[in-house]
Amino acid sequence: MTGLPDTPSAAGSGRKAREVRKPGRLQRITEHLRREWQIYAMLLPTVLWMVIFLYKPMYGLQIAFKDYSVFRGIANSPWIGLEHFETLFNNDQFLRALKNTIIMSAYGLLFGFPVPILLALMFNEVLSQTFKKSAQTIVYLPHFISSVIIAGIVMTAFSPSAGIVNTALGWFGLEPVYFLTKPEWFRPIFIGTGIWQEAGFQSIVYLAAIAGVSPTLYESAVVDGASRWQMMWKITIPSILPTIIIMLIIRIGNILEISFEMVILLYQPATYETADVVNTFIYRQGLQGGQYDFAAAAGLFNAVVAFVLVMTANTISKRYSRTSLW
Amino acid sequence: MANMNLYSRGDKLFVIVNMILIGLFAISTLYPFIYITSLSLSTGFEARAGNVMLTPVEFTLEAYKRVLIEPQFWISYRNTFIYTIGGTLMSLAFIIPGAYALSRPQLYGRRFWNLVVAFTMWFNAGLIPFFLNMRDLGLLDSYFGIIIGFAVNGFNIILLRNFFEGIPQSFEEAARMDGANEFQVLWKVYVPLSKPAIATVALFCIVSRWNGFFWAMVLLQDEDKIPLQVYLRHVITELTDDESFGAELINAPYSVETVSAAIIVCSIIPILLIYPFLQKYFSKGILLGGVKE
Amino acid sequence: MAGFAKTGGDMSGVNLQGLVKAYGAVQVVHGIDLDVQEKEFVVLVGPSGCGKSTTLRMIAGLEEISDGDLTIDGRHVNRVAPKDRDVAMVFQNYALYPHLNVAENIAFGLRIRKTPKDDIAQQVQEVGGILGLTDYLERRPADLSGGQRQRVAMGRAIVRRPKVFLFDEPLSNLDAKLRTQMRAEIKRLHKRLGVTSIYVTHDQVEAMTLADRIVVMHDGRIEQIGTPMELFLNPANTFVAGFLGAPPMNMITAQIVAGDQGPVAEFGGQRIVLQPLPSLQNAVGKTVTVGIRPEFAKAVDDSQPDRVSIEVDLIETLGSEALVHATLQGAPFVIRTDTVGQMEALGRIGGFTVDAHLVKVFDGETGLALPGQVLNQ
Repeated sequence: MTGLPDTPSAAGSGRKAREVRKPGRLQRITEHLRREWQIYAMLLPTVLWMVIFLYKPMYGLQIAFKDYSVFRGIANSPWIGLEHFETLFNNDQFLRALKNTIIMSAYGLLFGFPVPILLALMFNEVLSQTFKKSAQTIVYLPHFISSVIIAGIVMTAFSPSAGIVNTALGWFGLEPVYFLTKPEWFRPIFIGTGIWQEAGFQSIVYLAAIAGVSPTLYESAVVDGASRWQMMWKITIPSILPTIIIMLIIRIGNILEISFEMVILLYQPATYETADVVNTFIYRQGLQGGQYDFAAAAGLFNAVVAFVLVMTANTISKRYSRTSLW
Repeated sequence: MANMNLYSRGDKLFVIVNMILIGLFAISTLYPFIYITSLSLSTGFEARAGNVMLTPVEFTLEAYKRVLIEPQFWISYRNTFIYTIGGTLMSLAFIIPGAYALSRPQLYGRRFWNLVVAFTMWFNAGLIPFFLNMRDLGLLDSYFGIIIGFAVNGFNIILLRNFFEGIPQSFEEAARMDGANEFQVLWKVYVPLSKPAIATVALFCIVSRWNGFFWAMVLLQDEDKIPLQVYLRHVITELTDDESFGAELINAPYSVETVSAAIIVCSIIPILLIYPFLQKYFSKGILLGGVKE
Repeated sequence: MAGFAKTGGDMSGVNLQGLVKAYGAVQVVHGIDLDVQEKEFVVLVGPSGCGKSTTLRMIAGLEEISDGDLTIDGRHVNRVAPKDRDVAMVFQNYALYPHLNVAENIAFGLRIRKTPKDDIAQQVQEVGGILGLTDYLERRPADLSGGQRQRVAMGRAIVRRPKVFLFDEPLSNLDAKLRTQMRAEIKRLHKRLGVTSIYVTHDQVEAMTLADRIVVMHDGRIEQIGTPMELFLNPANTFVAGFLGAPPMNMITAQIVAGDQGPVAEFGGQRIVLQPLPSLQNAVGKTVTVGIRPEFAKAVDDSQPDRVSIEVDLIETLGSEALVHATLQGAPFVIRTDTVGQMEALGRIGGFTVDAHLVKVFDGETGLALPGQVLNQ
C-alpha cells in the first residue's frame, strides 16, 4: 500500500484540532480529587507514618551540629557547628569502630559472598529432588532464627567449660580456649556465624537465576558430549554471571551495614578492640552513655556514607543491567 | 527423574561428591539445633561436664519444668504474641492500602510518592534520632510504641506495590464500572487476587516481629512488657551471675546451660510450626521485591 | 425472561460532541462528534493508536474527558462516575475475578449495588440461561474455555441491564474459529436485548459483520461514518477505502485525461475509462488515485482489447474463489475471481477490465473521493 497518500481532511466534523478549553489548574485538581480522593485516603496513613517515624528523625539529625540538651529540646539547643565531628575524628574508639566495620565487611564479602553461589551451583547438580528439597529445607532454616538464639547457640558451643568446640579440642589434647574473650577470635566467629546463618537462604537468588537458564542450552551441550562439570562452567556460570555481578555491587553498596545486633550480642569489653563497629559505638555512646548529640554525629556520618555507597551501587547496577535495586 | 545410566563415570563421581558435600553442609546447619535440643533434655551435671554431643544424656525434662514455672517466661511469651500479632495486623493495615495507592496510575505525583517511600530505604536517620523521636512521642515502654513504631517498611510496600502493578488495570476498571468504590475494589478484588503476596508480606512481618530484639531492648525497660527475645537474652547472659539462681542450682537437676537451651527450644518451636509457609513464600518474596523496577 | 426483552427508557442514545482527550500537551483524540441512536450497534474501527479505545473509555468514564460533551440517554455525564452512567463494559481480557465462580462473577455488580439476594440469584439464573452458562455457574474462570469466559464477561454486563453496552475488543483473545462463532452470538444477543452498543475493534471483518453503523477512526479523528455497505461501496477517502475490505482496495496513481467519450485515467501508457461525471471531467490534467476493489476487477486473457495489462505473480486458490496477485506500475494489484469452471483460464490471465462505475477516483493530494461517485447498494 505504498501508493496510499496521507489522508488529510475528509469528513467535515471535528477536523481541525480543537482549542482545548483549559480549565484552571486548581479546578483540575479539585475535579481530580473529587473523582479519586479514595486512593489519597489510602496513601495518607503510610505517608503520615513515614513522616512521623522516619522523616521527623531526619529533622532531629540536626543535633549532630548542636549542643543538645534534653531540657531545651532539639530546636532550641544552641548550634555548635562541626565540633562533634572534630571530636569524632580525633576519637580513637570511633576510628577503631570505623576500621573494624570496614574490615569485617570486607572479610564478610570475601568469605561470605562466594558461598551462596557455590551452594546454588551444587544444588543445581543434585539429581534427586527429594534430597535437594530436604537439604534446602535445612539450610534455609537458620535465616529465620533470631540473632539472640543464634548468639545463644554460639555462646553455648564455644563455652570454655561445656562447649562442644572445646570438648572437641580436648580430644586432641588441646587446652580449652575462651574464644569469646579473645579479640583475635571474634571476627572469624562472627563471620563464620553469618555465613552459617545466611548462605543457604542467599542461594535462593542464584537458584532462581539458574532456573531461568534455557534447558535447550543443556540439551544441546549433552548432544555435543559435554560433561556436567563442563556444563556448569560453560553454561550455568556464564548465565548467572549478571546476577552475581549485581549482587556483588549491592553487597559493596551495603558495606557499612554490619549486623550490629549480632555484634552487641556476641562482643564484650575484652573484644571491643576487634569487635566494636560504628553502630555499636553509637549505641554505647548515645543510648547507654547519653551523649546523644555526639552519637548522632557518628550516625549522620555513617548514614551519609552509606547513602552515597548505596546510590552509587544502585546507579551502577542499573547501568549494568537496566534493573535497579528497587 | 534423571537416569544415572546416561552419565559417564566422571559425571557419576561428580554427582556423588557433590551430594556428599551438600549433605555435610546440611548436617553442619542442623547439628547446632540438635545439640541445643539434646542439651535441654539432659541433666545439668552431664551438660556442664561437656558430655552431651548428639543425643540427650540421662534424659530429663527438669530444665523445661524449671522454665515453665517461671512467671517471666510466660509474660514475655505472651508479650511476643502481642507484638507479633498486633504488629503484623498493624503493618498490613498500613501497607496494603498504601501499596495499592502507589500502584495506581491515576495517582497524581506517583513518582514523588514512590520516592518518599524508597528514600527511607536508602537513607536512615540512625539510632539516636529515632530513639529521641520515640521518646518525644511518649512511646517508650509502651506496647503501642513497639507495635506502631515498626509498622511500615519500604521494602514490604514496594514488594506489594510491584505485585499490584502486575494485576491488569482492567480488574480495577471492571469493578469500578460494576459500581465498586476504590476501597471495595481493593478489598473485594485486589486483596483476594494478591493472597500470595500478602501472605509473603505478613510472614516477613511475623518473622521480624517474633525475632525482634534490639529495639525492644532499647525501648522497653518494664519487665512486664519485654518480649521473649529480650528475656532470653537476660537468661543467657545474666543467669550465670544471678546469685539466687546460683544457690538454687547446687542440687538441681538442671543448669544454666540446660535452662538456656530449653528456652531457646521453646522460642524456636513457633517458627518451626510456620516454617513450611515461610519456606514457600519467602523465596517468592525476595524475588518479587528484589531486583525489579 | 421477559425483563430482558426490553431495557432502558425511550432515549438510550449516546451523544458525543467535540470529545477531546489530551494528556498534558499531547492530544490523542481531536474532537469526536458522534450520535449513537437508541438500540443501535455502532462499531468504532481503526488501526491501533487511532483513539478508538480512548474514546470508548471516555464514554465509560474510565478516562477523564479533556473537552467536549458526552450525553447518555439525554443526560450530560462528563462528570458522572462510571458506576452512575448506567453503562456496562466487556473488557478485552474479560477481567473475570479468578477467586469468584461464574455465578459470583456475574453477581458482583449486583452485590456491590446491594441488590436483594433473591433478586440476584434469579437474575444470575436468567442471564446464565440466555448465555448457555447454566451448567457452569459453579465453576471458576480458570476452569472455563475461552469462549465460555467471553460469555461470562458478557453476562456480567448484561445482568445489570444497562442503557449502553461498551465492548473493548472483546474477541481479540480468541482463536479465529471461536471469534466467528462469538461474533454471531453477540449479534444475536443484540437483536434479542436491543440495547444500544458501542463496540471497538481493529478487525474490519468484525466491524462489517456486527455494525449497524461503522465509525472509521484514524489518528484521533473520524474518517467516515456509515453503514457497512455504504463504507464499502462509497469510501470517503483512500484511508477508508484501504482499511475496509479484504483484500484491500487496489490503488493506482494516474492522470486524468480527456478521452473520446469522457474522462480517462492514464498511467504508464495504459488507460481506464471513467464515468462521465462533472467532477471527473473537471479534473482533467490532475493527478488522482484510482481505486479498484479486487472483487470489481474482472480478470481477462491477453486477447481482450480494452484490458489493462498486469503481470501475474501468484495465484492463491481458496476453493470457490481465487486471489490473483499481480504487479501493476510496480505496486501489488489483487483480483478476486471465481474458480469453478475457470481453473484453466486462471493460467492465462494477462490483464483485467473494470466497469467505469465501479472505479473510485480520489484526489491525488487530499485523498478525498471526488464528489458524485455514488454506488447504490
